[in-house]
Amino acid sequence: MKSASRLLAGSLFAAGALATLSGCATNVNTVERAQSQATPDYVADKRVVTDNTLARTVRVNSVNQATVSGNLLKVQATLENLKNNPRTIRYKFEWIDQTGMAVSSPNETWKTLIVQGRETTTISSVAISPRAVDFILKLSE
Amino acid sequence: MTTLRFKTLALAGVLAPVAFVFTGCASNQVRTVDSKSPQAINTSEINPQDWANAADQLVGSLLSAGPLDKAPSQPAILAVDRIINNTTQQVDTDLLIKKIRVALTQTGKVAVTNTMGLGERAVVAAEAAELDEMTTGKKAKVIAPHFTLYTKLIEQNQRINSVTQRTYTFQMSLVAVKTGLTVWEDEREIAKQSKKAVMGW
Repeated sequence: MKSASRLLAGSLFAAGALATLSGCATNVNTVERAQSQATPDYVADKRVVTDNTLARTVRVNSVNQATVSGNLLKVQATLENLKNNPRTIRYKFEWIDQTGMAVSSPNETWKTLIVQGRETTTISSVAISPRAVDFILKLSE
Repeated sequence: MTTLRFKTLALAGVLAPVAFVFTGCASNQVRTVDSKSPQAINTSEINPQDWANAADQLVGSLLSAGPLDKAPSQPAILAVDRIINNTTQQVDTDLLIKKIRVALTQTGKVAVTNTMGLGERAVVAAEAAELDEMTTGKKAKVIAPHFTLYTKLIEQNQRINSVTQRTYTFQMSLVAVKTGLTVWEDEREIAKQSKKAVMGW
């Protein structure tokens, strides 16, 4: 009787552990061209980390830029979720002009992004003023 | 008798702070928040963050596609067409359109005409043109727009058990006046899920 109880307890523990380990994984598998044809203009970036938990959860793999509509700066960041489950983060792009002044925009707002487990995705923004020459990308959990 | 009075006093001394804690301070607590910050209230309806988000993404898409650069002259003249609101919400559509107008105007690539469509001061603009005609004796010269901007807001609701999902779609089209062709269009969706409490009303 006692051994039956132990067997039942052991089975329940194993089942629980298995459920925990497998979890509700929503990881993303991807397929892409082996030799990329794109030639991004990568930006050498400087990073300031004040939230180590966030930095360990979502990583900025790269930042690249382009000019659209003749003279407007467009910036795109590639983010990767380092965890096995979906994460919600918030981000915001801010723009800076040649003199270091912030270029405000009525649409400059924190945006919500849900990244699936191990997914790599991109976020981008277009400066609405030709005066914008620099940017700050802010990330928050 | 003294002991009883002491106990009563002690009980009152304990109950008073407890009652204060539970009732709290009667004054309303108001604080100013940034409507575009993560601390802003998020409801199942379209909130300021959603308007700004949709406007930012649509403007980014329009500028990246570059149809405005092909206008016969610069800046491109834009007339804002009517906005169809097919959501259940009574909203001032300027919450979206104004943000788009401001952003496009700040690029220096667009001038929005106020003499037709949803020009926000179209009445005053028309009166000013009439006054100008009267004083100068010359017919006011109105510049025809190169493009018109058409917007539609749609809401879809789905419900499973106690979870309700509202999906708001912001559709926008840019039409070239000379040809009547749609030269750019895009849409953005914002989906919001809310869960009804099991207990309560």
